This record gives sequence, structure tokens and C-alpha cells, in this order.
Amino acid sequence: MSLIEIKDLKVHYPIRSGFWNRVTDSVKAVDGISFNIEAGETYGLVGESGSGKSTTGKSVVGLEKVTSGSIMYKGKDITKKSNRNHLDYNHDVQMIFQDSLSSLNPRKRIEDIIAEPLRNFEHLSKDDEKLRVLQLLDIVGLDADALYKYPHQFSGGQRQRIGVARAVATNPKLIIADEPVSALDLSVQAQVLNFMKKIQREFGISYLFISHDLGVVRHMCNNIAIMNRGRLVEIGTRDDIYNHPLHIYTKRLLAAIPETNVSQRKAHREARLAVEQVYREQQDKYYDEHGDAYPLVQVSPTHAVALPEALAQQIVQEGEVKA
Amino acid sequence: MEENLNKHSNISAADLDRLTKEASEEATPSSAKIIWNEFKADKPAMGALIIVIGFILFVMIAALFINTPKMMETNIMNYNAAPGSNGFLFGADTGGRSVGQQLIVGARNSIGIAIGLTLISSTFGICWGLISGYFNGYIDWGMQRVYDFMMMLPMTMMIIVLVTIIKNYNAVTLTFIFSIFYWEGTSRLIRSRTLSESEKDYVAAAKTSGTSNFKIIFKEIMPNISSLIIVDTTLSFAENIGVETGLSYLGFGLPIQTPSLGTLIANANDPNNITQYWWTWLPAAILIIILCLSISYIGQVVRRSADASQRHGITD
Repeated sequence: MSLIEIKDLKVHYPIRSGFWNRVTDSVKAVDGISFNIEAGETYGLVGESGSGKSTTGKSVVGLEKVTSGSIMYKGKDITKKSNRNHLDYNHDVQMIFQDSLSSLNPRKRIEDIIAEPLRNFEHLSKDDEKLRVLQLLDIVGLDADALYKYPHQFSGGQRQRIGVARAVATNPKLIIADEPVSALDLSVQAQVLNFMKKIQREFGISYLFISHDLGVVRHMCNNIAIMNRGRLVEIGTRDDIYNHPLHIYTKRLLAAIPETNVSQRKAHREARLAVEQVYREQQDKYYDEHGDAYPLVQVSPTHAVALPEALAQQIVQEGEVKA
Repeated sequence: MEENLNKHSNISAADLDRLTKEASEEATPSSAKIIWNEFKADKPAMGALIIVIGFILFVMIAALFINTPKMMETNIMNYNAAPGSNGFLFGADTGGRSVGQQLIVGARNSIGIAIGLTLISSTFGICWGLISGYFNGYIDWGMQRVYDFMMMLPMTMMIIVLVTIIKNYNAVTLTFIFSIFYWEGTSRLIRSRTLSESEKDYVAAAKTSGTSNFKIIFKEIMPNISSLIIVDTTLSFAENIGVETGLSYLGFGLPIQTPSLGTLIANANDPNNITQYWWTWLPAAILIIILCLSISYIGQVVRRSADASQRHGITD
């Protein structure tokens, strides 16, 4: 059984207008997505901004009110608040935020910040709690003198590591990492990502890794889901997505990864333009009449794509011929 | 979890004391210390602080030694005695009552009412604003309609009507009557900041850490708007001194037998007093000016110490 099973999750925001301020339409931030997260794996959720990936993450951790669908954890639907309270859900599922500065309360000392989940879920003695905080700081590579400082006294990378320390404090089973490194510069990104990987190995944590950076996702994730306009367009293993992309949107995202090889610059540019050309010409083939993605179709045991059955088969065959 | 942590970290219980000591040496100064440094760097504000605290303590203690009913007895022999004559340091008013003693007791009454009014109305306004802003939705809607209704009432008229209806009112009941009408401004101010504060990620992080709504409101959000709260409270304290004196001046504040700064200033209603007997009203007016100026100086220092970029004092 999977750790978390998300089934047909929908998050719609109402649009109100008119004299009576009635609901006239809705923004479909997340529109019927399903996937499972296994214990101990890193699941990547990729998409452009506004595609609903952060909303999905917030729904999984219980911060967003879900319109319909279910998120099953330990056989209970945690979209209901009573079930979350009953399971002590946030003891097992935690979150790392994108903006490290605003996610740490500027008026609290580091000790109080990291100890907050411990105080709510574990009720340790004062000394045990302080020891636990010191150990957590040690694990994320910060000195003990950070204990009584305030968040603004740290660099971005250090702050994000404090965020990681808070998230792992209760030894959760799943951590939602909502673009954890996109606000950091490249050298610090690598540092924080390696910490996250190290902690995963040592504590056996699963990550739901939300990002728009395909290079980072390739480094971190075994399974990847591509999201577009609130729906999933492609699900697969790292190999499926990076080496055998089927959906035009995935191909376009992959073409957008910058290449560092300067001598091949012209060839890369042409390849990118060709993908864009195909996207423009064949767009209506890949999306239905409302511009939404089709339901997912399984093309191999690990790989699924949002296309009509016939088209999917055709593209798979084309791919095999090419190979 | 515990074994797990012990395995991956070199820190054990034996190091606890040593590391705690190291950390407290590196600790950031507390906000009380920052405010104190700020006062030390700003001489006029330090003077203002000494004046306000010294004066409040003086009137509170000195008023205990004055027999108010006896002081308020009319004595025709001392009619408008000039300062220094008949044993009156500050002179006497038309009723032959000591202006100096009235000043002490009156300031005690006025400041006491201002403090009480500030405490009650600010506490209520802050709670109202925090809860309304944090919960949003229907709760916010309902609470804001109550606010709108209270704003709609003509405040001074209502107080005057209530004061005339209630018989035998004194300083305490008057404070409560004022408090009903003076929480709105604070609540709206606090609500607007709470609305933007509760959208921030640290509130979401507190929710995922399992902190209750009540704790998030008063332990996470409130400290973050504390600078706004302190500034608003000091300024409304200065304003509240004016509220009571203003109404007493109009004759609807404290009863005639209870002196206040407002009743002293009301002496200026009489043209004779303005032109010839200046000592009956001038000391009270100057006192109010000095108090309000000093308090706003203090408010500025507190506001500066909350914002690191405006500080004058040494922080580390």
C-alpha cells in the first residue's frame, strides 16, 4: 500500500460577481489529479507557475480546503479536519516552504521555531527538548550558538536549513517540499538539496518535491508527475520523462532546460524552435476543446500520459521506430 | 526518533550545558534592552520618560494625602486668591479652593481615567481586530458589521446621554462608559495588519506544526504587530487624556465635586478668569500640553526601536 493515495483531487476557487455577489464561475486551480506516493521515495511534481502544484502540496499537508476528491493516509481521508486531528496527521506530514524568511516567525528565536512541532506533538521535558533541537541543528550543519538568534541573522541557505530542521523535528514520514531551493543561488541550492537527500537516507522520509526546475528534479526524484493547467499531463519514472517524453507539454518543458555547451548553441536553438513549432501546430491535438488536458492513459507499467488512446499508441510507436 | 537522532548527531546529553552556555553568550539582546538603549541615545525622550513617570507617581502618591471633600469646600475669604497669597502656592479659584491641590487630585483623576480607558479599550480593540482579521470569512463579516454599527453612533452625544441617565456615576463608571466607544479605531488598525500578517508563510508553518488557532493569534501574529500595538497604545493614551478633559470642560465629565484637569480648564469659560485670574486655568492647560508632548516623544522612541533601520541606539 502506498503511503499517500491522492484520488481525483479538485480545488476550485469561486469567482463572485454581480450585484448579489453570487458565485458565477470558478478558478480550477487543481482539477482532478490522482497519484500515489510510496514510502521512502521522492516524488517530483513539475509544472509552470500557476499550474496548481503548490495548491496540490498545500492540500496534501492540510492547509488548503479541498473541493472534492480524497487523500488517503493510513486508510483515512485526511481532507476532513476531524480525521487529521484524530491521526495527529501533521506529526507525520510536514512542509518545507519556498520563502525561508517569511516561513520563520521573525519574532521567535531559532530554538522556539524548531521546537514548535515538538511542543505540540511530543511533550518532552525542557532539557530533552533543547537537546533534540541542538541535535537537529547539528544534523543540518548549524552551530549551537544559533539557538538564541533570530531568523534575520542568518543567510538564505542557513534559513532554509532551519526550515528543514523544523520539518524533520517530529520524524515525519512525508515532507512536502514546495520549491525549497528556488529562492537560493546555485551553490546554496546544491548544499540544501544534498542535506535533504542525506536526511532522507538517514530517516527514511518520503518527499513530495514541488519544483519548476527540471534539473533539480532530475537530481532528486525517482518518479515525476508533470502538471499543466490544474491537470496531470504525464506521469512516469525519471527515465520515462527525461528520455521518452510523450506529451507535447513535457517535450516543451524539457526543451527549455538551458544547455551550457556553447559550441552547440545554434543546434540547441533550432531544436527548441522546432519543438515550439510543433507545439503551436499540434496544440489542439493534445488538448480537448476547452484547452484542458485529456484523462491519463497508461502506456507502460510506469508511464502514463494525458492523450486520447489512439494518439498515445501512435506516438509510442513513432518513438520506437525512431529509436 | 531518539535513537535515530543520537546515531546521526555527535551531540549528546553531556554537551547540553556547555552548548546552552555558548549559545546564550551569542544570544541577541531582548527587545526590552533595545528599547532601553534607544532611550539612552535620545536625550529629549529620556527627559520625557522621566517627566511622565515622575509626574504620574507624584500625583498618585500626593493625592493620597489630600482630603478631597475638605479641599472642595467653598471659602469666600479666599475668593480668587493670587498665587503666593493666603498660603496658596498656585492661588485659589472663584470658590476659594486651592488650585495646586485641585491640580494634583485632578491630574490623578484624569490620568487614572486615561490609563483605565486605554487599557480596556485597547485590549478589547486589539482582540477584536486580531480575531476578525485572522479568521476572515463569515466571522470577519459579522464582527465588522458590529464595528460599523458602533462607528455610526455619534460618540460624544451618546456619552453625554449616558452620563445624564446614570445617576451617581464616578470615575470608574465613566471609564467604562468611555470604553464602550473608544475601541473601534484600534480594532480597525489591528485588523488590517492582521489580514496581511495571517497570509504569511510562518502562520501556515505554525498550522502544519499543529499549533492551535488561539495560540497562533496571540503568540505568533500578535508579537509581529507589537510595534503597531505599542505605538497605537501610547498615542491613544495621550488622546484619552483629552477625551475626559474635553467632556469635563463641556460639563458632562466627572461630577462637579470631583476635580479633574477638564474642570480646571473650564474655569476659562469665564471672561474674568481669562483676563485677570489666569492662575485658575493656565497651569492645567500647560500640564496637559507637557504630558501629551512627552507621551508622543516616548511613542516615537518605541516605534523607532521596533524598526532596526531607524534606530539611533547601539544595538549589540
